[in-house]
Amino acid sequence: MATGFLTDTTVCIGCKACEVACKQWNQIPADGYELSGNSYDNTRQLSGTTWRHVAFIENPKHRRLTGDVDLVALAEDVREQLPGGAELDALGRWTFMSDVCKHCVEAPCQQACPTGAIIRNEFDNVYIQPDICNGCGYCVPACPYGVITQVPEDGRVFKCTLCYDRQRDGMEPACAKACPTNSIMFGEVEELKKVAEERITTLRAKGYSQAYVYGTPEVGGTGGIGGNHSKFILLDEPETYNLARHPFLPQAKVRGAFVTSAIAAGVLGAVVALAFRD
Amino acid sequence: MADATRETLQNRNGHPDNGRPETSHHTRTDPKRDEKGYYGVPPIKAAHWTWQIPLYFWIGGIAAGVQLFTTLANVLGHEDEALTRVGRYTSLVAMILSPILLIWDLGRPERFYNMMRVWKLRSPMSNQSWSLVMYGNLSGLLAVRQAAEDGLLGRNFLSRLLIQLIPAKVLSILALPVALFVGSNTGTLLSATSVPMWARNWAFMAPTFLASGVSTALSYLSLVLHLGRWGEEKTHTVLRRAERATILVEAALIAASLIRMGRWGKPLFSKEIAPLFVGGTLIGGIAAPLALLSGKETRNKSILTSVLVLLGGLAFRFAMVHGGRQSANDPEAYFSFASGENAPQPEDKV
Repeated sequence: MATGFLTDTTVCIGCKACEVACKQWNQIPADGYELSGNSYDNTRQLSGTTWRHVAFIENPKHRRLTGDVDLVALAEDVREQLPGGAELDALGRWTFMSDVCKHCVEAPCQQACPTGAIIRNEFDNVYIQPDICNGCGYCVPACPYGVITQVPEDGRVFKCTLCYDRQRDGMEPACAKACPTNSIMFGEVEELKKVAEERITTLRAKGYSQAYVYGTPEVGGTGGIGGNHSKFILLDEPETYNLARHPFLPQAKVRGAFVTSAIAAGVLGAVVALAFRD
Repeated sequence: MADATRETLQNRNGHPDNGRPETSHHTRTDPKRDEKGYYGVPPIKAAHWTWQIPLYFWIGGIAAGVQLFTTLANVLGHEDEALTRVGRYTSLVAMILSPILLIWDLGRPERFYNMMRVWKLRSPMSNQSWSLVMYGNLSGLLAVRQAAEDGLLGRNFLSRLLIQLIPAKVLSILALPVALFVGSNTGTLLSATSVPMWARNWAFMAPTFLASGVSTALSYLSLVLHLGRWGEEKTHTVLRRAERATILVEAALIAASLIRMGRWGKPLFSKEIAPLFVGGTLIGGIAAPLALLSGKETRNKSILTSVLVLLGGLAFRFAMVHGGRQSANDPEAYFSFASGENAPQPEDKV
């Protein structure tokens, strides 16, 4: 049984309850009080001490509201002709996205790990065994999402565990539990796939034709890493959320590098051997 | 409404920007918002590696090249005691320094032995650890035999037994592929990441590092033999000839790498790295030594050439590691790389 997240960004309200719940449950230290200037996002990015991060993306529109606009109707998702020719998006759209470890099916960090500290646990989640990791940091540049990060004070790397401890006790992860709008859904990956498809159908029926699922190899461009167990419902291009369009598996080319190395070794050996001729 | 506020608003009414929100995240006013990405936050994280890693790459490359040259000399019947001695002791010192540098760079150095829990062929870091263990042991045995021959262990029964028991030729032939693997794997280690500049060049990265390793090793041998006034005349002639040829191979591989990297190789020519890469590697480590090697040979010129090649190789490794950091921190580079055909795909042929 594989478990994972489905993060529906269309209902996220940017309350950051998931960030707080994650920090509290996992007892991760604070990151300090720095103001980033990036909208209301002072967390900035996922790190070894931030396993959930809410991105704030502002999409202001330049059209002005004219006439007698029913703001309540606007907020309630009404698509019919509005009085005064106002358009639904005229208020601008504010997108939030609660980012998390993608728990790749073919996880580059796991393949990079030389100690075997990064494993797939019984829930098919990518899990770092903290008692094994020796902080070589090789998984950090391997991750196609910049999730896994070394904590300098500790030396080891950390990332979302998908609340392995809570799952073992039959509970859902802290972030999903805390989410007030059910933007973060937790469950079996196969179930979540279906939920995501239904949600996309609903969204498209409402006129959000650009809605799509990120993290399913058949739909998005995540085939290079076999898809993700943490999926997202997105309205913008992946780059807007700092996600790669076609993440790739860096280790796919290790075998190729062996071959080119062997050829190079042969050529260099021949070149040096030729120098011994009288 | 407070008077002050009203005043401000009235003042702004005459302003040409009236009505435009003054937020820095406005699509039109904030140039960052027109770019792809999220406030310019790098979408991937760079490796934390400090100076120990490029220095290890350099030392590992020298060890590989020294093993290649001394083994070939041995196999091709060119016996030069001084060369063999320098080669064996160098390999041992390199194989003592390399693990120290690598363990130093770990976040939890006291747990270095966890590298020996598993062997994962797809993890260049794991392959590196194991190849260092193997080559370290082989070079250790060869150095012990050398020490016994040199009388460093005393002229006693034990020394004679060690010389009898350690089959030098077999061991050095066994050590050759392992040493070459150590040298090339330094490049594979970089290319098997999500960093655009490194990953793009997966085919030439390891060969370039190996070629640079061999050229630095030949220069190192030449330098040591010259400084000690050791070695036969023929050894010096061969070294010189081999040096010239490997520098040409290295230059060709660097050119191929730059072509392959394309736009993602830009960091190598950035303000911070260009002096190191263009000045240190391309001019100081390749062009100048080639010019020096083509003229008449003198001892001083050979020493200068060797020093230049060695420094050029060191600069190359620092440039590649730091260039990768810049590449990882550039959202545009990663997004353009991971947006379609550019990144390595599973169906790619070797």
